[in-house]
Amino acid sequence: MLPHLKSIPLKERISLIFLERGELDVIDGAFVLVDVNGVRTQIPVGGVACLMLEPGTRVSHAAVTLAARVGCLLVWVGEAGVRLYSSGRPGGARSDRLLYQARLALDGPARQRVVERMYEIRFGDDVPTGYTVNQLRGMEGARVKRQYENLAKKYGVRWTGRRYDASSWGSGDVPNRCLSSATACLYGICEAAVLAAGYSPAIGFIHTGKPLSFVYDIADLFKFDLVAPEAFRVAARRPTDPEQEVRLACRDAFRKNRILNRIIPVIEDVLDAGGLDVPEPPEGSLPPAIPEEDIWGP
Amino acid sequence: MVVATENIPHRLRGRLALWLIEVRSGVYVGNYSVKVREMIWDQVAMGVEEGNAVMVWADQGDAGYNFRTIGQNRRIPKEMDGVKLISFLPDIS
Repeated sequence: MLPHLKSIPLKERISLIFLERGELDVIDGAFVLVDVNGVRTQIPVGGVACLMLEPGTRVSHAAVTLAARVGCLLVWVGEAGVRLYSSGRPGGARSDRLLYQARLALDGPARQRVVERMYEIRFGDDVPTGYTVNQLRGMEGARVKRQYENLAKKYGVRWTGRRYDASSWGSGDVPNRCLSSATACLYGICEAAVLAAGYSPAIGFIHTGKPLSFVYDIADLFKFDLVAPEAFRVAARRPTDPEQEVRLACRDAFRKNRILNRIIPVIEDVLDAGGLDVPEPPEGSLPPAIPEEDIWGP
Repeated sequence: MVVATENIPHRLRGRLALWLIEVRSGVYVGNYSVKVREMIWDQVAMGVEEGNAVMVWADQGDAGYNFRTIGQNRRIPKEMDGVKLISFLPDIS
C-alpha cells in the first residue's frame, strides 16, 4: 500500500505551467494531459504551485481531486491568461489565520498599519504617517504612473498609459498586453501562496470588495520590481507572440528571484505590522471532529 | 535526484510521476529538499512490492552523490575502503 499523499512546501515547487488543448485525467495515479492524438504527457502537479488551464482543456473529476490532494492550484484562464475561475486548496484555509486576517481588516488602526507597511515595501522608503488610506492610494497612483513611464523610457517602448479592455483581448497595444499577461502570471502564484499560507484571497487591505482583493494587495508588492520590467523588456523586442514570451520571461524571473520562497514570509510580514495577536481559540471550543491530516507547513 | 526502478506496480509509477519526470521507462528525475526526498523514498519503500528501485542524489560526500536501494537486484551496493561501489552478482539461473 502506498502512503498518504502529502502536499509539499510551496517554495520547493516550480511556479506555473500553462496547459492548452487536451484532457486532464488521472492514469495509474499520475496526472496526465492527453491530446487529441492520444499523446500523453505526465504533469508533475505535486511539484507545481499553479496550473493555468487555457481554452481547449477539459478536466476530469479525478484530476481535480488529485490536484487538490497534492496542493496544486488550478486556474482556468481565457485567452492569454485572463483569469476566469480558480479552484484548489493548496494548504487549505485555517480558521485561526482567517480570523486573524479578518480582525486586522476590521480594526481601523491595525488595518492602517498593514496598509502603511505594504506601501513601505513597495516604495522602499518610510511612508509619511497621518494620511488616510485614500490619500496614500492617491499618492501611490501617481508614483505607479511614473514608474510605468520610467520603464517605458528605459526600454524604449512607446507608452500612452495603462489601458486595457478585459472583455476584448488583443485590443490593447503591445506593452499593455504584455503587462496584462505578466500580472496574470503573478496573480496565479500569489493566489496559490495566499491559500497555502491559510489566508483568504478575498479579505484585502488596500484593495477591497473583490474575490481576490488580498491577492492583488500581495501581487502589488512584487509587481513593479519583478514583472513590470519583464513586460516592458519583452514589449521592446517587438514580440511575435507577446503573451508567451512574457510568460517565459516571468517564469525565469520568478525562479531567479526565488519568489516562491519570498511570498509567504512577505504575507506574514505585512500582517504582522498590524500589531495584533493571532486569536486564541475561544473557551470551550471543540477540536475538529475529524483530525486534519498533517499538512506540511507552507 | 534520480529514481531508477524495475518491475514496480503501475500505481507506484503513477505516484512517482506526481513529483518527478519519467525520462526513460522507470527512470524518474527531480530536484527537491531532503525532507521531500525522504517522503518520495517512503512512497517507493511502501509501494515497491516485487520490484526494486534505487535513488541517487547529490550530496556533500567525497563522491558528490549518494544512493540507496530497495528490493532484489543483481547489482548490490558494496563499500570498499569507504567508497560506495556496486557489485554485480553472477547469474545463477
